[in-house]
Amino acid sequence: MTKSAMLLVGTKKGLYTMRSSDRKKWTVDGPHAAPAPIHHASFDPREQSMYAAINSTWGGSRIEYSRDLGKTWLTSKNPAFPEGSDRTFYQTWHIEPGHAKTPNVVWAGTEPAALWKSEDRGETWTLNQALDDQPSRKEWVPGFGGMGLHSIAIDAADPNTMQVGISVGGVYTTTDGGKSWARDNAQTGGPEDRPDVFGCIHKLLAHPNVSGVRFMRVHLEVYWRDPGETTWTYRTTGLPTKFGFAAAIHPHDAKTAWCIPLHDMKRTAIEPGIAVFKTTDRGATWTRHAAGLPQGAALESLREGMDNDDFDDVGVYFGTANGDVYSSLDEGKSWERIAQYLPYVVSVHAATLQ
Amino acid sequence: MSSDVVARQKGVKVLLHGAWRQFAGGAKEVALEATTLREALEGLTERYPSLKERLRDEHGKLRPHLALFVNDEDARLLGWEDAALKDGDILHVIPALSGG
Repeated sequence: MTKSAMLLVGTKKGLYTMRSSDRKKWTVDGPHAAPAPIHHASFDPREQSMYAAINSTWGGSRIEYSRDLGKTWLTSKNPAFPEGSDRTFYQTWHIEPGHAKTPNVVWAGTEPAALWKSEDRGETWTLNQALDDQPSRKEWVPGFGGMGLHSIAIDAADPNTMQVGISVGGVYTTTDGGKSWARDNAQTGGPEDRPDVFGCIHKLLAHPNVSGVRFMRVHLEVYWRDPGETTWTYRTTGLPTKFGFAAAIHPHDAKTAWCIPLHDMKRTAIEPGIAVFKTTDRGATWTRHAAGLPQGAALESLREGMDNDDFDDVGVYFGTANGDVYSSLDEGKSWERIAQYLPYVVSVHAATLQ
Repeated sequence: MSSDVVARQKGVKVLLHGAWRQFAGGAKEVALEATTLREALEGLTERYPSLKERLRDEHGKLRPHLALFVNDEDARLLGWEDAALKDGDILHVIPALSGG
């Protein structure tokens, strides 16, 4: 079956859609919803819907969905905190299509940090009360970018098992589809002065095909978890800095992942320029790859800035704050710029169409 | 006075500007009956339900980055939602200057 690729590129000035049949020549359409910032956009491979987190000042933030691959868009009923709540929906940080076994279910993470479930393909949203009722919620605090729930990591085999990542609130796990949650921050091999991961989770990914595998990018740490494990294994050694946001996990190899380390204070790539670091052994070792990337460029890629497609020969993509999008068709060894002069890229989501 | 002029002066005219037209399916102008700005906004969202969540948050508070003018007057100086309206008034719904 012939596959083609589509990238949903969220920028600070609208959503761009890039399409390619060979992943070499790309067309770029957009922007949709400019000048609104698009914090994240995603594609649902189950039934070809597209979702966009449109965090507008005019008219407030909203979620839109498209059933025709971006030709037309409809607006969801907003996530809404219950009457009497002291919180107000401010913006959406992440939209995650549900598991293949739960048709019509879509999840969203927002600021203020909360988890929302849609059971009608994104038309309406219901607050996950169990997570909201966690006594430890009072300990959550904003990070530099606000206090949001941004990672929704659904297990490959079991739709009832998932983790959420919160900045700054740590990781919570459910094994009953969100009816109950438990804090899940215990680490192994990391800083000896604390038993838990640092609570500022930057990105938490579930392997899409192997149950139990997780890759997590934390503020100053990187962690791995294998099936059956109940702690996060420290895998930061070998990276040039401890800080970063962008991360991706190989869909066909449960030992391989990528990340882009950044300077912990400047939030940009360190000398000698931006590079992608790859592990093929669950984070035990990391290799720097920068072929094709601009030498010496102190670029930045954000939390949602990196993703991969689902081709047999997986393509990896990331966007930068200066409006570039890069692609690798050799699993991260070399890179090619496939878009430039876009607005500040906030998110890149890779969809595989077939 | 002709009957046409009387008809034009009856009620309030709401003019949607910029992004607010998009939120109302492209509508530019709405005629309705209202004696306060609050009533006018209620009438507007009854006519265009898609505007409801764009104008107010889930707790009913008007969103920021929204400018409302009654004729040439900033509605904030007229009592905001309590601002009185009379037949022939024009309520402007404007995206407030913001962003960069």
